Amino acid sequence: MRNFLIFLAGAAALLALPHGLSFSQQEILVFLTINILLVSSYRLLTLTGEWSLGHVVIMGVGAYASALLSKKLGVYVPVSILLGGIISALLAVVLSFPLFRMKGFYFLIGSFAAGEIIRLLWKRFRDPFGGAKGIKGIDPMPDFSIGIYDFDFFEPVSYYYLSVVVVAACLWILWRIERSPVGLTFHAVHWQDKLAEASGVNLRAYRTLAFSIASGFAGISGGLLAHYIGTINPNSFDVEVMVFVLTWAIVGGTSTFYGPILGCIVLTVLNEIVLRELGFEQMRPLIYGAIMILSILFMPKGLESVVQKIFSRRAKP
Amino acid sequence: MLSKIVKSGLTRRTFLQSTAAAAAASSLPRMALAQDKVIKIGFLAPLTGAVAAWGKPGLDGCEIWAERVNAAGGIKLSDGNYMVEFVGYDNEYDPAKARTGATKLIREDGVSFIMMLGGDTWPGVQPVADKTGMLFSTLLPSDLSPDTTTLIAPAEVHPIYNVTGVEWLAENKPELKTAVMCAQDDALGLPSVATYLAAFEAAGIEMLDEPLLFDPATTDFAPVVTKLIAGNPDIVCLDTCYSDYVHPIAEQLFQQGFKGQIISCTADFYDQMISKTSEEFMEGFVFQFPDFDDPALNADNINFSDPNGFYAEFNKRFPGQWGAVSWEYASIMDLWKAAAEKAGSAEPDAVITAMKDGQGKHAFGDADWWGEELFGINNALVGDWPVVAIEGGKATIKEFRNIPAWYEKHGDLLVKHMQAYDQMWNQRG
Repeated sequence: MRNFLIFLAGAAALLALPHGLSFSQQEILVFLTINILLVSSYRLLTLTGEWSLGHVVIMGVGAYASALLSKKLGVYVPVSILLGGIISALLAVVLSFPLFRMKGFYFLIGSFAAGEIIRLLWKRFRDPFGGAKGIKGIDPMPDFSIGIYDFDFFEPVSYYYLSVVVVAACLWILWRIERSPVGLTFHAVHWQDKLAEASGVNLRAYRTLAFSIASGFAGISGGLLAHYIGTINPNSFDVEVMVFVLTWAIVGGTSTFYGPILGCIVLTVLNEIVLRELGFEQMRPLIYGAIMILSILFMPKGLESVVQKIFSRRAKP
Repeated sequence: MLSKIVKSGLTRRTFLQSTAAAAAASSLPRMALAQDKVIKIGFLAPLTGAVAAWGKPGLDGCEIWAERVNAAGGIKLSDGNYMVEFVGYDNEYDPAKARTGATKLIREDGVSFIMMLGGDTWPGVQPVADKTGMLFSTLLPSDLSPDTTTLIAPAEVHPIYNVTGVEWLAENKPELKTAVMCAQDDALGLPSVATYLAAFEAAGIEMLDEPLLFDPATTDFAPVVTKLIAGNPDIVCLDTCYSDYVHPIAEQLFQQGFKGQIISCTADFYDQMISKTSEEFMEGFVFQFPDFDDPALNADNINFSDPNGFYAEFNKRFPGQWGAVSWEYASIMDLWKAAAEKAGSAEPDAVITAMKDGQGKHAFGDADWWGEELFGINNALVGDWPVVAIEGGKATIKEFRNIPAWYEKHGDLLVKHMQAYDQMWNQRG
């Protein structure tokens, strides 16, 4: 009953949230919701101990696939987003063959190289990827009505509601995976790889599984992004964007499920709302960088450690 | 329910009126204090990041423009005089952030007009423009298409004006017979590549190799330059490279001993390039953007008001920051102001109608609304454009050349190369 009430309160808060925001903040909220799925899916990969520099490109694979399926083949947009996720996951399986011959730092560099190859392919093949200019005029999510509410997906509030439902469902699946025996094995692959291998765990298979699941959800986030802004290009998924994902994960912390989400929310609000509202429009990269350095110096375990401290103090008698 | 009410009443005009009213209401205390009516103009361009050099100096120029106009009584509309205020939003050259910025500027700040750099960011903004009917400007006419009825390119017809530099070179330095070209592989680089190819072909200058397209993430230009000059070309063309690329490429050309001619669309902060290379090396470097203290800009046909004074003021406030776009957004505002005063209104529909009524007063002389063949719509203001060369360490206008005149003679070549790079309006996206 208590959990149900918490769920209801959370749902009501998410429902009411955009109505307390300005128009531009509603737009930022849509992108924040999509980025929460991106960074959460990234964390699943990090559970196995591997950090990738190609995750944003994999997100782009989902975005390109979904955009092309809906634009060229007339696939219904929600189906194309799902197919975009599946294509990203399948591509990750293919990439895993060369990439998981490497570990640690070498995997990091290998994933960067793989991502750059994909981005170069988008640029090189103007048909169908649109070259450097990318794809524009991507079909928007079709509007519909549920009687009490008309969903007009040009409006950020409508798209936020759609995104929040999709992202919540995806986060629930990611959560369940982490809590399942498969998720525990991911942890074992990271922390006790020799022991796990001795126990009969196929390390490479589990790394591939984590990589493909994480990529699938990243692909869905890419599809959500593409059908909202209506345009994508190779620069939308470059290493600069990947650095943002890394900083969300590092500043938030990756030992808990909510750590990267916290990092994403705090840094996005700081960069896109607080610093802009304070009039530091052009100094944002400088201030953002300084805050990041300070947070790493003084909170090496991430923002999640602050939350843990607060709750552990409350739990003490 | 709420969305039904919003939806049923949301026409372009009511939308703009209601947002303008809301924005006006939110700024009432300040307006009352200032005792002035204010028109807000949006400035939606990259103010940080690699492309900031084509946004930030433009906003700085606009602030000077606004001070001058406000000091002269503001903008005179049918219901009185209005002061001008610019509201900037840093889109970081990202389409998603550009969409957010357009939403903020229109729905929260109540701006009457939005100026953009364009390029990658325009497709993110286009749905907002379609929905609201807001008037936008771009510096990149390659954003234009028959669908972009509220988008104008009144300052520069990038990259078409680049033909004037090549044409001038061919006439004044006929000994130059061969060329090579490099460009970043992106939406800004490719149409410019097609334009330069057409210009070189029209001028009878042979391309020694295919254009060398490098990734925008490139930081080491030594191998790029080595490959570029391997065939010993007479001309190295730097296309429309960002200043972050033009500088290191010029440095590499200097270090690798290139002695030939360099031509580029821009040479922003060329004084820094001279200090990194030498005055002798940079002598004769041809590009397309003058310093506004050039005496040639004092001719009667120039429409930009007091260019020398504007340049002096800009350099006083932002020393060493003068660049290609410092004057361009301000010149767009000259056009917008004239059109708004002619229409007696700042309504986007009225302004664009007044603006396109006859010839336009482009900064470099009266010009025509043009572009249907290339862009599918006559929303680009095209006339004369200067060819600039560095002489004695200073940018000097060599000549003004007419773009439509070149196009009349060689338009088929431009269309051919634009088609080869999928840059015609009906090939994009």
